[in-house]
Amino acid sequence: MTTLNRPLALLAELTYRCPLQCPYCSNPLELGRYRQELDTETWIRVLGEASELGVVQIHFSGGEPLVRRDIYDLVREARRLELYSNMSTGATVVDGTTLDRLREAGLDHLQVSLLDTDPDSNDRLAGTRSFDRKREAVRGAKERGFPVTLNVVLHRQNLDRIEDVIRIALEWNVDRLELANTQYTGWAFRNRAALMPTRAQFEHAQAVVERARSGEAARLDILHVLPDYYQELPKACLQGWGNVFMNVAPDGAVLPCQTAREITGLEFPNVRDQSLQAIWTDAPVFQRFRGTDWLPEPCRSCDRREVDFGGCRCQAFLMTGDAGATDPVCHLSPHHHLVGEALKEAERSDPPLQYRVMSV
Amino acid sequence: MRAGAAGRHVALRPAPAMSEDRVIRRPVLAAHARYRWDKLRDQHQLVFPEGMIVLNDSAAAIVQLCDGRPTDELIAALVAKLKEPIPASELSDDVQGCLRHLVERGLLRDDAE
Ligand code: SF4
Ligand code: SF4
Repeated sequence: MTTLNRPLALLAELTYRCPLQCPYCSNPLELGRYRQELDTETWIRVLGEASELGVVQIHFSGGEPLVRRDIYDLVREARRLELYSNMSTGATVVDGTTLDRLREAGLDHLQVSLLDTDPDSNDRLAGTRSFDRKREAVRGAKERGFPVTLNVVLHRQNLDRIEDVIRIALEWNVDRLELANTQYTGWAFRNRAALMPTRAQFEHAQAVVERARSGEAARLDILHVLPDYYQELPKACLQGWGNVFMNVAPDGAVLPCQTAREITGLEFPNVRDQSLQAIWTDAPVFQRFRGTDWLPEPCRSCDRREVDFGGCRCQAFLMTGDAGATDPVCHLSPHHHLVGEALKEAERSDPPLQYRVMSV
Repeated sequence: MRAGAAGRHVALRPAPAMSEDRVIRRPVLAAHARYRWDKLRDQHQLVFPEGMIVLNDSAAAIVQLCDGRPTDELIAALVAKLKEPIPASELSDDVQGCLRHLVERGLLRDDAE
């Protein structure tokens, strides 16, 4: 029997609109299909339902959450409900007034993405000039006392500048640095061969991060997310499907994982029709891979099944065509050879990046 | 947004080696950490981006006093709250242990440093 937890975290994707075009964006490929955004009133209701359901953290994201005019009202409501609020922003639409208003509304924490430490490379990867704005946004946020995390998604094109990433995080005086190697779903799966780092790159980066942690960057809280194609064991994706996390997409669809739309054949309930409570408890899509009863072999008889829940469902689907398969990253998966093949292909080729389309 | 956004990954963050005898003198809660009482779960929580830890009653009492005051004063304030007061010296080790743990997790800093 699987006991049903209360969810801890809600990812509120307010919009897929975004001035940037990151080639690893986790938004769906068919962005144009989801233009009908929820209105303010519905989001306010969703926040209330989330709080009643036991959610502790709200993560406002997108797209660029700051293109929503009602963002301050939503942050204020989260604060009123005593939820911890995070916001991820590309920071191109941030100025002093934005930051003052976010502060006043009670936002707890700001995450600013940086694509590369080299301004030209950052701007090329983002598809738009944004480096200077990001720097200004971080400066303004720190002046106002915001805790700031700098998020850098790592991949082949920027991994060799890992030393600079740490230097910039220190110079910009952020509190936390999140170094996340690309997870190959969404746009990143499409760009896998162009983004996959080499083993040498990744090992170098790991050594640099370790050294910095015990040296000059000891005061920085560094989160380093390893590239799982180079691991033998999969990640406990979201600590299990339908276990602690839910994602409300801009159109109101409720997803057990922010990239679950990639899995064909799943039906997603919508907050326009049902309460979050009903969705969390009863929606078939949340029950589908909840707990460990559904697991196939080799997971079924593996003693790590309560640790990693068989890994990432989206990755399993994208690589094997079966969302219910063991994550191919696992060395015990019958599909594990696909990982080696993808790495080889990435070593051989250097295809151009494809950028996400749909701006503000 | 990028896929890292919601704790989808297991992040590698080894606790920095910290000597057993390190003494924290002016504990301040990290700016990104917030104490909260969860009435649905009957729980003290310390929440931070993408995560949270559950605190027991004494850790919760300590955390709520981590505002930059000297640790001695913090301990005195704890003693004052007890129904049956005990000497501050008996609390000191436990308090330091708790503070060290939070520093290791990046949730607290020592303003005296
Ligand atoms: S077999 Fe399944 S449960 Fe075991 S380590 Fe691999 S993915 Fe995890
Ligand atoms: S394009 Fe970049 S900034 Fe915009 S939502 Fe995607 S990852 Fe985030």
